[in-house]
Amino acid sequence: MRERLGKVAAFPALTLALRNLSRQRLRAALAALGIVIGVFAVVSLGMLGTALQTAATDELGGLGNQVIVSPAENGPDSLNSRDLRTIERAAADRGSVIPLKSTAGTVTGPGGQTVGQVYGARNPRALFGGGPGVPRYHRSGAVVGRETAESLGARVGSTLTIEGNDYRVVGVFETDGPTISPLQASSAVVLPPDEFTGSGYSQVVVEAESSSAADAVAASVRNALNARTERVSVFSLSSILDTVTEFFGLLNGFLLAVAGISLVVAGVSIFNVMLMTVSERRGEIGVLRAVGIHRDEVLRTLLAEATLLGVSGGALGTLLGALGVVAIALNTELPLDAVLVPTNALVCLGAFAFGGAVALVGGLYPAYRAAWEPPVESLRG
Amino acid sequence: MSGVDVAGDADVPLRLVDVTKRYEGGGGTVTALSDVDFTVRSGEVVAVIGPSGSGKSTMLNLLGLLDDPSEGRVELHGDPVAGRSPRERTDVRREGVGFVFQDFHLIPTLSAVENVRLPTAFLPGDDTERAADLLTRVGLGERLEHTPDELSGGQKQRVAIARSLINRPDVLLADEPTGNLDRDTGVAVLEEIREIASNGVGVVAVTHDDLVTEYADRTVELVDGVLSDA
Repeated sequence: MRERLGKVAAFPALTLALRNLSRQRLRAALAALGIVIGVFAVVSLGMLGTALQTAATDELGGLGNQVIVSPAENGPDSLNSRDLRTIERAAADRGSVIPLKSTAGTVTGPGGQTVGQVYGARNPRALFGGGPGVPRYHRSGAVVGRETAESLGARVGSTLTIEGNDYRVVGVFETDGPTISPLQASSAVVLPPDEFTGSGYSQVVVEAESSSAADAVAASVRNALNARTERVSVFSLSSILDTVTEFFGLLNGFLLAVAGISLVVAGVSIFNVMLMTVSERRGEIGVLRAVGIHRDEVLRTLLAEATLLGVSGGALGTLLGALGVVAIALNTELPLDAVLVPTNALVCLGAFAFGGAVALVGGLYPAYRAAWEPPVESLRG
Repeated sequence: MSGVDVAGDADVPLRLVDVTKRYEGGGGTVTALSDVDFTVRSGEVVAVIGPSGSGKSTMLNLLGLLDDPSEGRVELHGDPVAGRSPRERTDVRREGVGFVFQDFHLIPTLSAVENVRLPTAFLPGDDTERAADLLTRVGLGERLEHTPDELSGGQKQRVAIARSLINRPDVLLADEPTGNLDRDTGVAVLEEIREIASNGVGVVAVTHDDLVTEYADRTVELVDGVLSDA
């Protein structure tokens, strides 16, 4: 029996706090429920916001890094090798330059026919990414996008007829690339540039190292080639991407602020509950002080009580919020990968800590008032 | 042991010297204690009697360093208490004073043994064994795990007495120790108090109960804040 005694021994403040909470279970549960709801709101909205942002950024991919230079509407039909050199100078140290020839053409495969954009490029890998058989240096044959390959019933080794010429499929692009880019990997057909007549290029693509580098390249290409007449049109999505990112940032901030308000309300309810608790237990607190428990020890006990409410509510709220967002991801088009990112772990941790902190702050004044009251006063009850 | 007159300071754990206590109230100033001189010696039981409102609780609060006099001084082992911080006063209570309150004032969520060791709960070390021994001594060895609502009035009072002894106090301050008890239980509690005094503890018991005076070494009477020998 002696072994069961002295449960207060190890952590007196914590044990006393737990016992006190068990007195008014419903009241404690309701106060914790406030924190559960608040933390749930912060976690679910915060994680969803991050997931949406991640999904959108993934979708847009390296789009912001891409600069596409093409002949201006009222300019030349194609870009010549001098234009290419100018662009290469502008892009020096900032990214790689991929000159492209392109034409719309009828493509016939073993299982169908399609009208698509046919590109001529030396390095299709730099443009559309890798895949089975996609060469680094494109000498012969055709490399096709996934979607095109499917609709033509073609795979590596099949023969395609493009504008009357036969080409063997040497590779298929694996990735679809960003959906908003004017250059679509999934529906592309890429031939060696020699297959095109004429020496000019229909487009020059610059894959910059970052969106700011892309901005700089776009600006200097404009300066160099459009100084006198509008010779080229420069297409860059980096600024749009920045705006999109900024929008998501704003949206996230707004959602978190709304959720934060509910947590603050929860803090007020903790404050209220602690105020009731200490006024009901005034006499007891007086006894504690009279028998030699220090003010800070009483304070610690009461704060442990408030923090326990916050920590238990916060843990439950975090768990429910995270499960909710995962459930949403599993049942919608939101990819689970976008949910399970490190930022969301931070969101959970932050919301949990915020819940605990809100409860602690809510308990601070009532605890202080009770612990610092002269024991003679509190003993009068 | 009651006639120790030449008590050195070591034998006088607490003393009130010319103590006056006034309260500012809505109806003007109330003098609760007036020029009170009072000494507690180690090993004696002093009963303080007097009608309600005569200042008995005020006196007990001053002795327990829970309150400060308006005039005069409280001495602890010969040293004036005035000027000690709340922390130092709390330490004095924690280490040297035992309180038995009129309404027991046990913590309802704690078992008997946990209530007894409450005063030392925040100190390093585990006094659970000692708490259990004290409860056994007051006849509650079989009730260690019971919570206050599972105990009778007399049992609660004995838990409260055990609690007041956990810190091996020099002085035991008891407010109506038999107030809520039937006569037989009251006698048992008073015998326990005598036993405590015989171990060198100075006991001050504030009471209405004549039974307490029978067990006291001396009795003083407080009427309208003025102390006199009964």
